[in-house]
Amino acid sequence: MTPRHRWMTLAFALLALACGDIASPLRTDVYEWRLFEPSVTGTDTISFHWPQDRLPVRVWVEDASDLPADISQAITTWRGEFLYHEFDAAVVSDSSSADVIVRAGPSPGPKLSRIRLHSALAPQCSGETDVDISDDHRDLRLPIRIYVDPKSDPGAPGLAECVALTSMHEFGHSLGIFRHSPTPTDLMYTDPTVSQPSQRDRNTAEVLYHLPSTVQVVGP
Amino acid sequence: MRKSILLLALLLPARAPGLAAQTEYYARLGAVGASNLLRDVIISEITVRQSIAPMLALGGSIPIGPMGYRAGVEGTFASGKYHSSENGARTDLGTLRTGTLLVGVQGPITRQVRWRAGLGAIHYWSSDKQGIFLSGGTTRFLVGAGLDYRRALLRAWDLMGSVGYDFHRFTTEELRTRGFAQNQSVSRIAVSVGLARRTR
Repeated sequence: MTPRHRWMTLAFALLALACGDIASPLRTDVYEWRLFEPSVTGTDTISFHWPQDRLPVRVWVEDASDLPADISQAITTWRGEFLYHEFDAAVVSDSSSADVIVRAGPSPGPKLSRIRLHSALAPQCSGETDVDISDDHRDLRLPIRIYVDPKSDPGAPGLAECVALTSMHEFGHSLGIFRHSPTPTDLMYTDPTVSQPSQRDRNTAEVLYHLPSTVQVVGP
Repeated sequence: MRKSILLLALLLPARAPGLAAQTEYYARLGAVGASNLLRDVIISEITVRQSIAPMLALGGSIPIGPMGYRAGVEGTFASGKYHSSENGARTDLGTLRTGTLLVGVQGPITRQVRWRAGLGAIHYWSSDKQGIFLSGGTTRFLVGAGLDYRRALLRAWDLMGSVGYDFHRFTTEELRTRGFAQNQSVSRIAVSVGLARRTR
């Protein structure tokens, strides 16, 4: 290689380096997050995410069983899964104006629940998230209600971890992940064992927030 | 590299007595605009860009030869909003601050116009630790060049106008953690005016 060729090769290499763009990762490893509800004409697909003009989502938390700290951690964690401010939430003191209400204890009877997402069937605690979607599948009526039930006595071994994990999982439902992952290593698995969102959980949340919602939020 | 920049920055104020009368200082105010910091695709293309931001530049130089060449150091600071765009919709991501430090040389083109070129670093600070800056700011190598115009204004001071271009490759720790490969080429153009202490 002559010196001239060497310089040209170097120049082209520098030019290629200078013009190159960052290469984004593929978000193809996702699980199904949408609800499939029966409708007059067959099956309707329901997908939801919080719109930008509703951020930050207002969350009211009952002061019991370390729930305030656990939900604050869940907000921080889920917010950190997004790169472009797709989601944000803040704890509020007035439950009457909340978009999401988190209570300790078992969920009430089925009358309050239009669609109930059962989760976290660990022996120490359990969780459920109620989403009220109108019959015509156009509206999601607020608030979304989360129930975290510490089944065992306060101070029981593993209870604090179970409540923290269940809070993180149920909060994932309130983001719009309305189904469970089939993979045990995901936070949104039916009976999760991991305490943080996995790469697949993150991919699913990111994809969900960049596709249009099929329902609009109605509420305070 | 950083040591060299710091050394020159320290040497300028602590210059030899003979150079005292030949050392120039300047301060300018202006604006800086940048190309995209990031291109991503989740469903459709998402870009992140810093808005045109006000900028302060401070610098100084000393002569390095008989032909009018000088060596100098220049620091800039800019603060402005940054946002993401997807399908025409913009999302405000907060405030982004940048600081640069360039060590370089400059030389005459005409009596009033000089060129300059240099190497250095740029650092990004975000107002909030979130999104692409969740793991903190980032420091990148920087190359820059520009043209300075000077015209006598006061007895010891010149009016100084400047157009500058610089280039770096952008990424953050958070982007690397999330599997973003390579870096994004970022070009910036700055226009500024200010005062320079005259030595001739």
